[in-house]
Amino acid sequence: MTDETDVAPVVAPADETTTRKLGIGFWISVTWIAVVVLAALLAPWLPLKDPDANFIVPGERPPYSPNGTHWFGTDQDARDLFSRTIFGARISLTVGFVAIACGMVFGGALGILAGFFRGWWDRIISFVFLVLLSFPALVLAILITALLERSQRTISNTLGILSISPVGRVARATTISFADREFVLAARTLGAKNSRIIIRELLPNVLIPMGALALLGMAVAVVAEGGLAFLGLSVAKGSTWGKLILNGSGSRLLADSPWVAFAPILVLFITVLALNFAGDRLRSYFDVKETSL
Amino acid sequence: MSYWLQRLGAAIALLLAVSMLTFGAMNLLGDPLFNILGPSAGDTETEEGRQIIQAAKDEYNLDDPLPARYVQWAAGFVTGDFGVQFGLDGEPPVSDLIKERLPRTLTLLIMAQMMAVTLAIPWALFSASRADSAIDKVSTVTSFMFIALPSFALAVIMKYLFVIKFEIFPLIFNAADPLASRLWQMVLPAMVLALPAASVYQRLLRTDLITTLQEDYILTARSKGVSKRNVLFKHALRPSLFSFITIFAINTGALIGGALIVEQVFIIPGLGSAIVEAILREDFPVVLAIVMIVTAGFVVMNVLVDLIYSIIDPRVRAS
Repeated sequence: MTDETDVAPVVAPADETTTRKLGIGFWISVTWIAVVVLAALLAPWLPLKDPDANFIVPGERPPYSPNGTHWFGTDQDARDLFSRTIFGARISLTVGFVAIACGMVFGGALGILAGFFRGWWDRIISFVFLVLLSFPALVLAILITALLERSQRTISNTLGILSISPVGRVARATTISFADREFVLAARTLGAKNSRIIIRELLPNVLIPMGALALLGMAVAVVAEGGLAFLGLSVAKGSTWGKLILNGSGSRLLADSPWVAFAPILVLFITVLALNFAGDRLRSYFDVKETSL
Repeated sequence: MSYWLQRLGAAIALLLAVSMLTFGAMNLLGDPLFNILGPSAGDTETEEGRQIIQAAKDEYNLDDPLPARYVQWAAGFVTGDFGVQFGLDGEPPVSDLIKERLPRTLTLLIMAQMMAVTLAIPWALFSASRADSAIDKVSTVTSFMFIALPSFALAVIMKYLFVIKFEIFPLIFNAADPLASRLWQMVLPAMVLALPAASVYQRLLRTDLITTLQEDYILTARSKGVSKRNVLFKHALRPSLFSFITIFAINTGALIGGALIVEQVFIIPGLGSAIVEAILREDFPVVLAIVMIVTAGFVVMNVLVDLIYSIIDPRVRAS
């Protein structure tokens, strides 16, 4: 320890200026997200191999390692992993998007109402948020997906219910911090009704921090789908990222042909990282506080 | 004192709400009679079929109204009687299954949290004392990546590296092995849970430490001649531990979810595999018991955090 030379650490006050920039990492992340989303949207029209066809090479046993024709290799049934991963993105991303959209609409509306009217509204809504939050998220997801048919809609709605309270709490806290500001008072003095104040004055302000949260929430939902897949509870039909990784994670397959698991892991990881990073940057750019009040 | 009564009341209300929700959903959305008897639940044509159905209804009190069954179940649950399993003629009782599986999941969780804390505190002290240096930036990126990596993906990667490539850890958890080797078999799964948790703790603790290190009393201590190491450990660490404890408790809830998944990858017969098996069999008493245990654990953690708060910071007690 060099006690004599250095004093207690000094933090560069540069933070003030750096946080106001989104930075190159943000734009790289956004580009990656855009590419994945576009690929998923346009998958049926892109020149991709049929994700369910078996490309068996006579005389060789699948799975085939990555090569010129199969960029990510194939799985044990000689199905092309590259197109399976892209088609998997369709379900994984849809589930993530629907989930967070559901959270934004319901959580956002409840949070704004609670933050604006306070009193009993606030108490009841806050208690509902608390109950939802005290349920370990995965357990609730397990319960619903176990009881209902495992369709894409069920999974999306389940994850949507789970995202209501985290989004709602941010919406509530942001609303509270804006509800007493001068511009709200000005609108009220001009005779604006509650509904007008909420929609025209508060909503635009609350939407900005919620947008940052949406990216983080989508990452969480995509990961949650993967977790459900590992418990055998993901969407029953079609391939998802979670199901692809689960398929490759068996001991024999993992030992002999690791690419079957690692190709979808890589795409999932980069996507989740990009969503997290972009969301994080946005959040510090707009200085979102989760715990205020 | 009234504050603690309030806390306790809220915790109990929450457990009641969760159990009613779960119990109600399982009985209304599912069909308990079908879960018990299988296809023969629809056999109302023959006298024999009707008798079987009536016997099952009597045994599981299915003719009672839902609230009565809930009260019956709740009364049993608090005395440690979790009912009987649906599928296997009620053998063994759910509580026996829980007694067998719960310790493994608990061990996994405790090991993971211990690893995470022992890793996170030195890591945070190290990076906070060198805030914004190159090595601190590397550690920030590392922790960010571990947080973004889902537990199942990390589990597959670790399994590939340490079980298949380097063959350091055994593949199979063997319940018949002696305690020491069973613990050894859990090290890798615990590590999968611990690494992201440690990253979360490190990020938070580092931020808190940096804030604390800018306080005046730190400068006073330094100018009195207290060594940098002592300032870090004795003056800065304790006041920085508050949000650490909160996130520790909150993260325990997330870890339970992670543990269920990691158990699946490493084939550990804990609560995770128990709930998956029970769901496949539609064995709802088991699902209900596990949901309640997990929720109760979560609630207890939250109350404990409040308690610890008031012990380490007397200001909380006053307000």
